[in-house]
Amino acid sequence: MLKKIEDILAQCIEDIKAGRSSVEDCLDKYPSMRKRLEPLLRIALEIREPPDIKPSPAFKVRARVQLMEQIHAKKAVTKWPWFRYTNQVKPIPYKRRFNMVAIIVAVVLAVSALGGGTAYASQGSLPGDVLYPVKLGTEQARLVVATSDTAKAELYLTFANSRVQEMTALAERGRPEKVNIAVNGYDGAIGMAIGKMEEAKGKGLAIADTSELVAEATSKHLPALDEVYDRVPDEAKPAIERARDVSINGMGNALRALARENPGRAAEINLAAVEVRLNRAKAKADEDNTEGVEDAIDDTEKLFRFGEEISEIAQGLGKDTTTVEELVARATSIHLEVLAEVYEKVPEQAKPAIERAMASSVRGHERAVEALKGKGALGNIPEEPPVPEGIPESVKERLSKVKPGARKP
Amino acid sequence: MHEERHAETEADQVLLVQRAISRDADAFGRLYDMYVNRVYRHIYYRVGNIADAEDLTQQVFLKAWQAIDRYKKTASPFLAWLMTISHNLVVDFYRTKKAKTYLEAEVTADEPTSSLERVAEARFEQQRLRRAILQLRSDQQQVILLRFVEGYQYAEIASLLGKSEGAIRVILHRALVALRRMLEKEER
Repeated sequence: MLKKIEDILAQCIEDIKAGRSSVEDCLDKYPSMRKRLEPLLRIALEIREPPDIKPSPAFKVRARVQLMEQIHAKKAVTKWPWFRYTNQVKPIPYKRRFNMVAIIVAVVLAVSALGGGTAYASQGSLPGDVLYPVKLGTEQARLVVATSDTAKAELYLTFANSRVQEMTALAERGRPEKVNIAVNGYDGAIGMAIGKMEEAKGKGLAIADTSELVAEATSKHLPALDEVYDRVPDEAKPAIERARDVSINGMGNALRALARENPGRAAEINLAAVEVRLNRAKAKADEDNTEGVEDAIDDTEKLFRFGEEISEIAQGLGKDTTTVEELVARATSIHLEVLAEVYEKVPEQAKPAIERAMASSVRGHERAVEALKGKGALGNIPEEPPVPEGIPESVKERLSKVKPGARKP
Repeated sequence: MHEERHAETEADQVLLVQRAISRDADAFGRLYDMYVNRVYRHIYYRVGNIADAEDLTQQVFLKAWQAIDRYKKTASPFLAWLMTISHNLVVDFYRTKKAKTYLEAEVTADEPTSSLERVAEARFEQQRLRRAILQLRSDQQQVILLRFVEGYQYAEIASLLGKSEGAIRVILHRALVALRRMLEKEER
């Protein structure tokens, strides 16, 4: 039976894409259809995946928080958090649903009746322990009595700290298989802390203190998560990578919020985080761990971008950004020195990433110097970025061509 | 870089979908984390600007949550299901906005290569093709994008669109013929 052109075309595309034949092979196989087939095959093979376009981390966090809020707003009653982890208990039928406050009060009373010691003892429990659901339950009870969005945000931050401690403890006790539960809890807690912070901002409330707390906490979570990452076996590492992403994205959101009210403090926290990431890159370079270096440099680049955003947000609001610019300009020499050390140690394939980070640092310096000069506030800050001697001449030359306005998209 | 690496195996993904179907918001949140990049990229390819791509991506996940009970009835991968929701939303978007101008928007990203000229040429060709694809009929557009841009197999596309594999091949053939006509017309 003669095959239809649709089937031949589809088969040829499959074979060519799978490397089983070439366009010519296919055309030779069906000479009578060559004229019709050839242009269609050429077009089909021209259609490619689009370039690697990704949504911004800020959008992803914002959209996730909004999505979760919409989901919870639409649900009559939210599931209890420990139900989510055990996944064994079905939601309570509608008729038997109580008011959330009443349930929490009942739980608290029940726990008290059984002995407050149970709740107390649960505080040291870890994912997988019998008392872990009680620990999560007491957290929910604490949320009920928190009256404001900022108080709730701060509580969520406390829960996020607990989740990081749990990850550390699980790694120490050789129970990495439960790390994912703590990471999910961490992800949710940071998302809710940011969400509550933004709700408070939406109501016109001052959130400088809360955003500072979130930024500080997440910046401290990063090195703690690094330690966990280094200790857990390979199969648990992706979960910790996810926690690090949550942490760094949460920090970015908090820094942007803080930049609106206290840009100097936002810049300080960000630069401290940059130093921690650079030290991580240096340590990983010493261990000949190229992937570890690349990850840390990747994070550093994100933080450099946060730095640029802090300045832009503050300038947009007409704030005095002199402190921010001084901090950035003075930090450049330290950043470049560490980056130069890392550059020397890493293999060729990792060098372009280090060079890009150097260029970002130089760009930050140029922008800061330009702004300070405009205000007559340059003081003893060197105009030229302090590029260390050890860097190859070709790299120095490229860095000398970096312009302050050439911001990476 | 990190966003792409997730711990879940295929079995974990199936479990997450099952939990999401039973209205577990956390599980759905994890599915969001896993697929938001792909959905965004798919939509961005079709609308060509960040603001609309972000807006539509958010809508896709909200619609998916609202309609997740219906997912049970389909046999296609969860991501493919998200792609159909994306497709319908983009179609509605164009219908409402009549936004032909978006066809002119460029889909670009950093491409490491030595020859700038070659990059410019390739980009131009891809833009021509993209513009032509976006002018195809809705079902043809969907088949072309799912097969060539998202890499789904004919059987998966067939299950997703509720058609036979043969029908999908016919749509594909017609789509390529239509593309050929459009591109030839442009060259004249």
